[in-house]
Amino acid sequence: MVMRHTYGRREVLTRLAAATALTVLTASVAACADGAGTGGSPTARLTLAAPRDLAAGPRDPYFVHQSLGVWEPLVALDERLRPVPALATGWTSAEQGRKWTFRLREDVVFSDGSPLTAQAAVTSIQRLRAIAPRQSAYFSLDEGMEAAYGELTRLDAEENAVVFTLAEPVADLPAKLAGFFSMIQAPSAFTTGGDFAGDPVGTGPYTLASWTKGQRLELRANPRYRGPRPAYATVEVRTIPDANARVAALRAGEVDGLFDKGALLPGQVTAVAADPRYRVVQTPSALTHYLTFNSSRPPFSDPRLREAADLAIDRAGIARTLLAGTAAPGGAFLSPAFGDLAAPGITARHDPARARELVAAAGAPAEPVTILISSAETGQFPYTDIAEVLRAAFEDAGLPARVEVTEATKTAMEAGRYDVFLSAYSVPNGDPDYLFRRFLRSDAAWNVERRLGYRDTTFDGLIDRAAATGDAARRRELYHEAQRLLAADRPMTPLAYQANPVVTRAGVRGLTQTASYLVDLGRLEPAG
Amino acid sequence: MPARPRRVASAVSALTPALARTARGLAVLLVVSVFTFLLTVLAPGDPAEEILRRGGTQPTPGSVARLRAELGLDAPLPVRYLRWLGDVLRGDLGDSYADRAPVAAEIVSRVPATLWLAALASVIAVTLAVVVAVRTVLRPHALDGRIALTLIVAAGAVPPYIVGVLLISVVAVGLGTLPTGGAGSPVAVVLPAFTLGLAGAATLLRLLRADLVSATRQPFVVLARAKGVSTARVVAVHALRAAAPAAIATASVVAAELLAGAVVVETLFSWPGLGQYAVSAIRQRDLPVVQAYVLLTAAGTALLLTLADVCAAWADPRIRGSGT
Repeated sequence: MVMRHTYGRREVLTRLAAATALTVLTASVAACADGAGTGGSPTARLTLAAPRDLAAGPRDPYFVHQSLGVWEPLVALDERLRPVPALATGWTSAEQGRKWTFRLREDVVFSDGSPLTAQAAVTSIQRLRAIAPRQSAYFSLDEGMEAAYGELTRLDAEENAVVFTLAEPVADLPAKLAGFFSMIQAPSAFTTGGDFAGDPVGTGPYTLASWTKGQRLELRANPRYRGPRPAYATVEVRTIPDANARVAALRAGEVDGLFDKGALLPGQVTAVAADPRYRVVQTPSALTHYLTFNSSRPPFSDPRLREAADLAIDRAGIARTLLAGTAAPGGAFLSPAFGDLAAPGITARHDPARARELVAAAGAPAEPVTILISSAETGQFPYTDIAEVLRAAFEDAGLPARVEVTEATKTAMEAGRYDVFLSAYSVPNGDPDYLFRRFLRSDAAWNVERRLGYRDTTFDGLIDRAAATGDAARRRELYHEAQRLLAADRPMTPLAYQANPVVTRAGVRGLTQTASYLVDLGRLEPAG
Repeated sequence: MPARPRRVASAVSALTPALARTARGLAVLLVVSVFTFLLTVLAPGDPAEEILRRGGTQPTPGSVARLRAELGLDAPLPVRYLRWLGDVLRGDLGDSYADRAPVAAEIVSRVPATLWLAALASVIAVTLAVVVAVRTVLRPHALDGRIALTLIVAAGAVPPYIVGVLLISVVAVGLGTLPTGGAGSPVAVVLPAFTLGLAGAATLLRLLRADLVSATRQPFVVLARAKGVSTARVVAVHALRAAAPAAIATASVVAAELLAGAVVVETLFSWPGLGQYAVSAIRQRDLPVVQAYVLLTAAGTALLLTLADVCAAWADPRIRGSGT
């Protein structure tokens, strides 16, 4: 039999391959054209990317994140988590902290043209209270807005002022309210049920022009904004959840910057920061990596072994290498982002020799200790690597250890199936009372349900007194004392204080960030 | 027998397998619904607490208890299942725990994007598999065919996420010819479709090539050659037709794989489809969304397998004749 080649068939196959290649080529050319079109005039349009959707929609308590500059709160936070005026020009307290009066700015108009009045502000705050508890993509609302102001007995609109009357004295209501919990939007923004009637109506430098869930949103400069007009008339924010894809979009020139919590992962910062085409801003945040000890069972019910584990850890090494310099070694319970409320002089020593002595004196456990991490957090931070380093450090000190990664950390902890838990926590406002009261007070849900086993009436008394003390200096002293107690007892010890790196192209300037990851979009402008 | 009753009997006998198949499909879906419900609600962790913890805050026990009650999480499991099933049958897939938006509406808005991506990926997978399989069987020693075969099989062995990152790095960042992701441009689908299509092509190519080689040794193919039919015609017409039923069965599995692979690829490329929605929901323990996604994926897979049966029967008269 003679094998013959039919060139016609081969030609068909060749043409098919050519057609496929041509399709890709055409698509590529079209993409080039498209890419050229998306840039636009830099003075008019800015394109940024964020890891999460910064518009959560009409059923969210806030609709959009504070970072977008669509709405403003009564009180904001500065870079040291101190309350500073926003829509309120100032505040006074009376009746030992039971009555707080916030005076409002007089030159403020909502984006729908209606003026900011005391009644409008009261309506906005009452609405948050009415819908609580309510989940949010950002900061969920507690039942009764407990984290914001405890028990509120009256909320009144007086002449250009909002007056809070509380059942119990509150030492620093501005810090508790700061940010999301004192968001003010126009009454016209809401339905009677508390959802949004349409778009958000705020007082910030931008308005929400369009929004596609999970994809992108577009902001337009608010013509009624009282301050200087933003340099960029339009800001597009794309949602890119994947960290590699986010940086690829930056490198491909599709976006002018990355912002929001977790914009750049620790492992990405060094390479991006070394590239002169980009400006990386790395400011301290309130986010802290904590090690929570299960002190309700051996071995860490023995304080000597908690101390041994603590001394075995090379925090500086972890911060420098695994967290790529995006974090500082932990010391005091409150991060430096809390300014002078963080207790000075508390540093966590790295002393493996002393750790070995302590383990020898207390006796090494027969079973390995379990270092628990959540699979949900391994994507953002190198927790698997950190846990392995902790395991090696513990074993070096004579504490056999193993690492467990699970999704259901709550179940494992409530069942007491852990010895150390690594996780990161922050605060929803500027009040450190939140961390002490929610995590470590003897009756705190975290302490009781997660079996921390920490019961200290002295600590509880310090926290309660600080929360009710109006004298700022005395309050600071009480918090310092509480942190010294925690440093000695170690129910929960800070591993590292995490910064939040954000980046723009070198052609954009004015990038700043608060300790709550807020970027002021209104201050961004073209360089040169 | 009179003509009319015979026609009715014939129609009934034709309908019976279809009805049986439909009934079987519904039973499968019912079982899937039970498993879907149980798997998601019995997963460890408290959804109410995790929802309230979004943003990194620690909710009060009172807030968690009120949200649990609001979401109906306190009711006994059978009651919750029946409520859920009743709502699903009415087309109500519930509201997202995360943003309280209706799940059904969100799914409907995302289905076209996923279908478009899966369709394009399927075209790429089938085209690559058929072209390379035929080429390598026609000319086993041709360099181009062997290189293509190696590249596709190698790409299939690498997880789609890595392939996607490589394509983004080379094509989007390096050459700057296609967008890195999103859906803002009509050509944004090209890279995710290629990523997904390559994974499908590898599976399909391996099986199709093996079937083609086997089919070329069949007696009727040998006969065709003996009668002087060209090799190309023998492979492309006779052997390919003989290998088609197995390839179609594989293609249906590959299509189901593509839908599953879309979960990773859509997230990487920020493609606004069902996969991206599902990943986001899983991260947030958004149970109504996860339940709806699993149920829809199961229903879609069952539909694909049924379609594959029909196509295989069309391609192979022996299957058609068996009436199964």
